[in-house]
Amino acid sequence: MFDSQEFGLLWERNEYIEVKYRSCIMEEAIAMSRANPSGSFYYDSQSYYDEMFTHDFSVRPHYNSVYSLFAHMPASKLAARQQALHQRMIEEGITFTLYSPNQQEPLERTIPFDYIPRVIPKVEWDLIDRGVRQRIQALNAFVHDIYHGQRMVRDGLIPRKMILSNMYFRPEMVGLEIPANVYITASGIDLIRDENGQYYVLEDNLRTPSGFSYLFKGRTLMSELFHDIYLSSSVQSIERSINCFLSSLRALAPNGKKDPLIVLLTPGSYNAAYYEHTFLAQQMGIHLVEGRDLVYQDHKIYVRDLRGLRQVDVIYRRIDDPYLDPLAFHPDSLLGVPGLMNAYRAGNVAIANAPGTGVADDKAVYAYVPDMIRYYLGEEPVLHNVPTYILARKDEREYALAHLNELVVKETSLSGGYGMLIGPSATSEEIRAFSTAIQRDPSRYIAQTTMKLSRAPVMINGVMSPRHIDLRVFALMGAETHVIPGGLTRVAMKEGSLVVNSSQGGGVKDTWVLNDE
Amino acid sequence: MLNRNAEALFWMGRYMERAENHARLIDVHYHLQAEHELGLERSPDHLERIDSSTKWMRIVEALGSRSNYEEQYGAFTEIDVLLYMTLDWGNENSIVSCVSHARGNLRTLREKVPSELWDSLNGFYLWLRECQPDDLLRESPHTFFGRIKDWAALFLGLCQSVMPRENEWHFIECGRYLERAENTLRILKSTISAACSEGWSHAASYPYLQAVLKSVSGHQAFRRYYADGIAIEAIFEFVILNAVFPRSVQFSLHSLDEHLRLIELQDKTLRTQHDRMIRQVGKVKADLACLEQDDFMLLDSNAVLVNHLFDATQQLGVAFAKTFFRLGEASA
Repeated sequence: MFDSQEFGLLWERNEYIEVKYRSCIMEEAIAMSRANPSGSFYYDSQSYYDEMFTHDFSVRPHYNSVYSLFAHMPASKLAARQQALHQRMIEEGITFTLYSPNQQEPLERTIPFDYIPRVIPKVEWDLIDRGVRQRIQALNAFVHDIYHGQRMVRDGLIPRKMILSNMYFRPEMVGLEIPANVYITASGIDLIRDENGQYYVLEDNLRTPSGFSYLFKGRTLMSELFHDIYLSSSVQSIERSINCFLSSLRALAPNGKKDPLIVLLTPGSYNAAYYEHTFLAQQMGIHLVEGRDLVYQDHKIYVRDLRGLRQVDVIYRRIDDPYLDPLAFHPDSLLGVPGLMNAYRAGNVAIANAPGTGVADDKAVYAYVPDMIRYYLGEEPVLHNVPTYILARKDEREYALAHLNELVVKETSLSGGYGMLIGPSATSEEIRAFSTAIQRDPSRYIAQTTMKLSRAPVMINGVMSPRHIDLRVFALMGAETHVIPGGLTRVAMKEGSLVVNSSQGGGVKDTWVLNDE
Repeated sequence: MLNRNAEALFWMGRYMERAENHARLIDVHYHLQAEHELGLERSPDHLERIDSSTKWMRIVEALGSRSNYEEQYGAFTEIDVLLYMTLDWGNENSIVSCVSHARGNLRTLREKVPSELWDSLNGFYLWLRECQPDDLLRESPHTFFGRIKDWAALFLGLCQSVMPRENEWHFIECGRYLERAENTLRILKSTISAACSEGWSHAASYPYLQAVLKSVSGHQAFRRYYADGIAIEAIFEFVILNAVFPRSVQFSLHSLDEHLRLIELQDKTLRTQHDRMIRQVGKVKADLACLEQDDFMLLDSNAVLVNHLFDATQQLGVAFAKTFFRLGEASA
């Protein structure tokens, strides 16, 4: 019922990886039996890019100190620290909630946290940082354009249908000038690496991306419990990032108000990501509110507190567009604030992220992001998309139709793994059916190259074993744009699995960007 | 109550507060990254001066025992500093010494205070006495200092819940708050000296300033008042003047004043002295109340201010001793 991005478990949207790579799992199982048994790691020589090891099992230079410290740490010490880590996560309530229909009391789970950090050398990070900034800037310009004149559509660079039929397009936003012209205050860009270690953007999360708290908490836990390893590496600090987050929100205050009242609007304590909401509110010193704490009066939004009504200037919302305002969107939603959109349109309150940003993180629109970068910024993209074929274009369609057995085809209006064709594992009937469907209505589909997700070692019972990972990079846009150094590495904890979802045993790693080469 | 008892209560309060403060300070600063994280301008002579030992030197300096350390150990290394600050019996101000002093004082008062106090403080002492240098590093310093904070909190909580609100209680609290004010000021002093000697740029000092706030558990409260503006001046203003943040100088002095006034005395000469003492605290409070925004604007003027307040708290300590503890055996 709710949008999975916010209301499901934290990362509900990566079914993509799961399905796309299913075909590789068999190969991997075979390769596993030839695993290299030497040393303290268990590795096969698969054709995946590994973050720590090169193809001949030597340690990549930027992993040297981390590897040698872990390799030399006695098993008993590791076990004790693992235990302390788990204990801390329980005590501090760093959990997400799993609801299942046949259970009275919902399960509170700690997210699997692997303590071997992912290390990114400075030169790689500089590229990511530049690429993410560029991408966010172009996407923000795109959202603005879509709600003001649609230049890119009129210039014929993106089909009008793709915008108007987009379920995230909000007619209420058309022509509206918003504070500081920032639509995408907080974003999470998911990156993956192919077998050559090249980074690709897998998807953009521009609505209410989550994962910040795991990033910050993960760093705290690592620096406190693995202090020796942490202090022996020169890691770029993320201390500043919470401050930058707050600055971005303050920059939105209508009329440049000096000391704005900022609230974080949460759906409430039953939400799976509630821990994150409390964490962010506490760290930024802003108020954590639910819809019922806010009132609309005279085109303004107020928070009820013991001092009476106080006017709210900025709302960082962690509920999705359709639930923001029952008067404007879902009439039966209890989560939002009736009248909020009126106050917003009157310019008396800012909402971050702005309603309607989802128009730019749709699957089909994703394919046009490189064009946006060229169109709005006049630059070539620094980070590439996973090679995507827009089937509405004749030559790309012809190529795709001829290579369906190698590609992944997705129906743009559907998500959650529905309406997909996984070429390498599909039967010839399935391929034929898709081929017909594509020819009937090509703009409903996109096709992508099958990617081989990179891997990083995780510690399992004292043994380093390879697991597939991706990287969510967070950007915060305000008066200036800040990219949090490192981001959150998500790990498919199950052997051979490609699912990084926390609901399905996905875990996280602290991500270290080194200061020096 | 005997003077001697009053003195013991006062010092027990001070030592327990000191132990807790030291644990906080070391814990936070331990986890600071090495110096180049500060992004300092690297002129060649800076590079020589700023190496990893600077971090350790600062911790020792913040606790005000640099010369004593240098006599014993010479160079500032991680393991030496940690040992010196926590488990070194030779250091009057190491955590183990503080707890031992607090226990020694409590021992002379056992029959006068609820027995839970002794049980908890003695438990703390026995645990700490058995700790070996290895324990400190085996799990992680953070876990170790966390335990020290837990013990201190347990003791404080017991005092809160079982102590009758009589003179005994007020003496403990006077000691605690005077110590707290002094400790906070000492941290600020070392911040100023670090900032001046190393020529911090505005952005570069961020991690260290953040650590200063964390060591007084003020980083979350600070954001509520000053939002995203972390600047050295704002931090000084907050840590010195905030009226509701319980580790600020202002709050500590007000609490000290409150408890000092509640001490009930029979003896007439003592009452005169007591009144003078109250006026002395009043003067420091007045200094704080009359500060202007400008007083926080410059590092130099902050140094003047902090030094002035620091001296004032030290004089209060002396005045306490003169007023209550050195009058022979007259009863308070």
